[in-house]
Amino acid sequence: MEILAQILSSGIAVGMIYAVIAFGFQLTFATSGTLNFGQGEALMLGALVGLTCVETFGMNYWLMIPVVCLFGMIQGSFVELVGVRPAIKIKSEFGWIMSTIALGIIFKNVAENIWGRDALPFPSPLPMEPMTFLGANILPMEILVVVGALVMMLLVEFFNRKTIYGKAVVATANDRDAAGLMGINTSMVITFSYALSSLTAAFAGVLIAPLTLTGAAMGGALGLKAFAVAIIGGLSSGMGIIVGGLILGIVETATGFYISTGYKDVPGLILLLLVLAYKPSGLFGKSAIKKV
Amino acid sequence: MMKLKSHIPLLIAIVGLFCLPIFIHNPYYIHLAETILIYTILLFGLDIVVGYIGQVSLGHAGLFGIGSYTAGVLFFHFGLPIWATIPASIIVTAIFGGILALPALKVIGPYLAMVTLAFGTIAQILINEMTWLTEGPLGIKIPKPELMGVPMTKAEYFWLVSAILIISLIVVDRFVKSQMGRAFEALRDSPVACDCMGVSVYRFKVIAFVISAGFAGLAGCLYAYSEQYISPNTYNNELAVLFLLGIIMGGRKSRLGAVIGAAIIVLLPKLLDDINLFRIVASIIAIVVLVGAGLALSKKVTTPKRVAVPLIGVVGLAAFSFWLDSISDWRLSIFGFMILLVVYYLQNGIVGFAKSFYQSIAGKTKTNRGEAVEETDDSVSFISAVANQNTGAELLKVDSILMQFGGLKALNNVSLSIKRGTIHGLIGPNGSGKSTMMNVLTGIYVPTAGNVLYAGQSVVGKTSSDIALSGIARTFQNVQLFGEMTAIQNILVGLHHTFKSNMVEIALHLSRYKKEEAEAHSRAMALLKFVGLEDLANEEARNLPYGKQRLLEIARALALDPELLLLDEPAAGLTAPDIKELMRIIRKIRDSGITFILIEHHMDVVMSVCDTVSVLDFGQKIAEGKPAEVQADEKVIHAYLGT
Amino acid sequence: MLSIKNLEAGYGKVKVLHGINIEVPKGQVITLIGSNGAGKTTTMRAITGMIKPTSGEVTLSGEKIDGYDSHKIARLGLAHSPEGRRVFTTMSVNDNLLLGAFPRFTGSRPKGDIQNDLERALEMFPRLKERRNQLAGTLSGGEQQMLAMARAVMLNPDIILLDEPSMGLAPILVEEVFKIITNLKSQGVTMLLVEQFAAAALNVADYGYVLENGKIATHGPASKLKDDPAVKAAYLGGAGGH
Repeated sequence: MEILAQILSSGIAVGMIYAVIAFGFQLTFATSGTLNFGQGEALMLGALVGLTCVETFGMNYWLMIPVVCLFGMIQGSFVELVGVRPAIKIKSEFGWIMSTIALGIIFKNVAENIWGRDALPFPSPLPMEPMTFLGANILPMEILVVVGALVMMLLVEFFNRKTIYGKAVVATANDRDAAGLMGINTSMVITFSYALSSLTAAFAGVLIAPLTLTGAAMGGALGLKAFAVAIIGGLSSGMGIIVGGLILGIVETATGFYISTGYKDVPGLILLLLVLAYKPSGLFGKSAIKKV
Repeated sequence: MMKLKSHIPLLIAIVGLFCLPIFIHNPYYIHLAETILIYTILLFGLDIVVGYIGQVSLGHAGLFGIGSYTAGVLFFHFGLPIWATIPASIIVTAIFGGILALPALKVIGPYLAMVTLAFGTIAQILINEMTWLTEGPLGIKIPKPELMGVPMTKAEYFWLVSAILIISLIVVDRFVKSQMGRAFEALRDSPVACDCMGVSVYRFKVIAFVISAGFAGLAGCLYAYSEQYISPNTYNNELAVLFLLGIIMGGRKSRLGAVIGAAIIVLLPKLLDDINLFRIVASIIAIVVLVGAGLALSKKVTTPKRVAVPLIGVVGLAAFSFWLDSISDWRLSIFGFMILLVVYYLQNGIVGFAKSFYQSIAGKTKTNRGEAVEETDDSVSFISAVANQNTGAELLKVDSILMQFGGLKALNNVSLSIKRGTIHGLIGPNGSGKSTMMNVLTGIYVPTAGNVLYAGQSVVGKTSSDIALSGIARTFQNVQLFGEMTAIQNILVGLHHTFKSNMVEIALHLSRYKKEEAEAHSRAMALLKFVGLEDLANEEARNLPYGKQRLLEIARALALDPELLLLDEPAAGLTAPDIKELMRIIRKIRDSGITFILIEHHMDVVMSVCDTVSVLDFGQKIAEGKPAEVQADEKVIHAYLGT
Repeated sequence: MLSIKNLEAGYGKVKVLHGINIEVPKGQVITLIGSNGAGKTTTMRAITGMIKPTSGEVTLSGEKIDGYDSHKIARLGLAHSPEGRRVFTTMSVNDNLLLGAFPRFTGSRPKGDIQNDLERALEMFPRLKERRNQLAGTLSGGEQQMLAMARAVMLNPDIILLDEPSMGLAPILVEEVFKIITNLKSQGVTMLLVEQFAAAALNVADYGYVLENGKIATHGPASKLKDDPAVKAAYLGGAGGH
């Protein structure tokens, strides 16, 4: 029972991080049919910038968060402008895949040169002593992760449903041409969705940083897990992302415990392949209608 | 004579390869050349995925690793010789390729890229973890393979790799020039048309990926014996990206491009490790691009705006290299930057760029491809006279079809009965459901309710390509030709169903394949002649005038040997003389016993050519009968004009 | 208000419009009729920026808008109810209408009282009022057409372009649609109406242009065109012989 509780609690925490990153994929895929293959690096940069704010500038963790979010928005806009917009113009899928990968490589290398290759500890804003609940050890930071992730996603949902700008984004995702007829500048919407996507990734970065080590290499594996979650949950459903994240997080933690930590990453791939084989649009996704 | 001339570069290459270890004794350079050859084999395969079917695979380093480790494991645990490990590597890697491709290619989108990226990472992790099988991070040592009991020398192994490369080259070349290659190109140009011509898009995407995996496995196996030591950290994501960069930089759909790409892959890391060498190369490239840009600008082939970015890019890169003291810290950034430049400014690779640069400078354009146009044999009956000439019997029964999209009833309880040997017109105002009906009949939409019986069998739920192969062919309202393929190649895709030969027969050019190819070619020419396009056989479809494109689509549909031909607004956008020609062709096709369903707005076409006309309005059938009756029908006049 | 001169446009290699001239004076309803494939929708798309014209001029209230992006043209006060409705299927009727007024929210158009206009629009389209919180994708074809038109009205535009509002609709719904168009006309709204349904269009319009094979075959006051045999011929290919 205690083991189960532990697996569940650790799995939920890790799963929510994956979900928040995957959420970023959804934002850009909905409006533009593209996503950032360097999303993990966006997270990494957010974490490192956050670290600098907190350690070098002595900023308070909570004040640092909006700064990092702003940085994320700028970084995301940059990625869209340099990597995605030219590819959309020439209608090349290969183009944006390769250029977002290339930008990810560049960001990682730049981070290595600025912050070094070592993994650095991130000071935690909350006490590091675990609490116990139903026999499981839960770190306060882990709870912050889950709460933070949910709050972020809810904020975006609120934005989409309640503000006119959010509705404009949903409209662009639904029918780009018609959105243009409404006076909506759809290319700006796409840039904005990339800015928002990197914002969520950077935010996830500072959430997870105190729980693990922060370094230039932290983005790669996380980005991949987020892929898996996006496919499992479906690239068109927010609920699916959360459920997908939780499933992946829990299955991974269980695998790590029962089999070995080395094999922890494998269930993600297997789940991915299974979902694609039987429900390609994801567990919660909707399939699109072809028009000829 | 033509054939021998085109083989000369290949012969020179073969001779050169075999002479290389004789004249160059430094083992470092032989090994370098050998690695280039091995990567070339992999890139031949990767090109099929990236160049021909237009998908991104980030997992080929992982597949490469599977090939190496299959050989390594079989040698280490079972002592198997190379003659066993080569086929084993190919087969095992191909199986992994299938496991990836079968789910990932079901959906349109970047899923293959995502899945292969995940796969590449996990393959590396697994190889590292499964120490009981792979020795993990320790790696496996493999000696050179034995030839008649004695280990091969460096030179002998080089010759073995060269021989396998030449064989791979010939095999890939034969694949892409065969019906398989045409299927690959067709599915990239227009997946919908491809399915409707009986070539299953999904199936061929998977086949393409599996073949590329096989080549990756072969390369991996040869690599293991070449390096004589394999370890997991070689097969990382950086290598996977490097493979893709190689294909793009070398040039897609080109064997020479693969060779150039492989050379770049091998030499690039060395370049990025040596600052002096990098400075020299970067400066040379900057100068070359400057001169080339100047030349192009002076000949007014390009604008300053277009050359600005790549020019600044390469000059900036060269300048950056001089500012750096050591390159190793920044090599990945430079690598990433190069990818960006190549992806946007060298899309057709060095090979493609050289071709178009030469053409624009020299002023030549060549859109005409293919062998000399063959003489057509008029005795070849190109339209298989339809077996069942039972004119008047019911061929197609559309039974109370309901097609609903959300709240929209595009087709509301529509029934039709199409009689053999007739031309049945389907008319109605815009949005009345005519094209929707076409899509239901050809399997693009699955009806919400109702049934479609073709020759007594239900076709609801069948795939488009199955429906096409059972005898229903179509053309499209917006012409869906395979634009980058020539006219005759378009027809040959329609004739895909006549090919029964398999990959082995293609690779070895066995007699059944050669016969099928020859017969298909003459039949295709006859079909082109029938629609008056025989002179344009080798012209790219997208360059044909609009009216001729429509005729080509009809000829392509005929290639399917259909019993039922669905024409979707064939006269749209045609001039009066073109329309006359169209009607003549339609009547002639009907005379061979083929039944038609014709959607058309040009009333003169409908009146003069159709036997029966059904009128749709608001998703429902409002009138049916002989053309003259329908034209005078009150309801029809009201539907169109509102009077 | 809207002036089109020598407009040429097409898709890739296919040229659909071969130089057409249309004038839409303020306060009038102009209709563009013609059979399918004549180029009516292409004309609309070229005007509203969905495709770029290859040559010719489009002027809106004195400003040259040919070549502008759609959103820019909408912000200048031109509303387009497109062919095929193109409502936002995953959003409610209410949201669709609010989005019609998007430039008013952002300041590109004079704001006015958006909520008030929303209620008035729902009064004008009672079917929509009943379904205001329903997802647009679940509406029937006729209701979606109403929504597309109401959405265009929400812009408070200087001119509305209606592209085949009767397309795919049952006769009784077509009547309703044209009643609304007449209503709008009585409020002084300038409209360019593209229609396949010539009779109804000519009933409500002041002036008409007949498009055939990408060229204006004939034009004149709507009342005159109604009885013109050339119009009938253009559609039915000579029910009276040709």
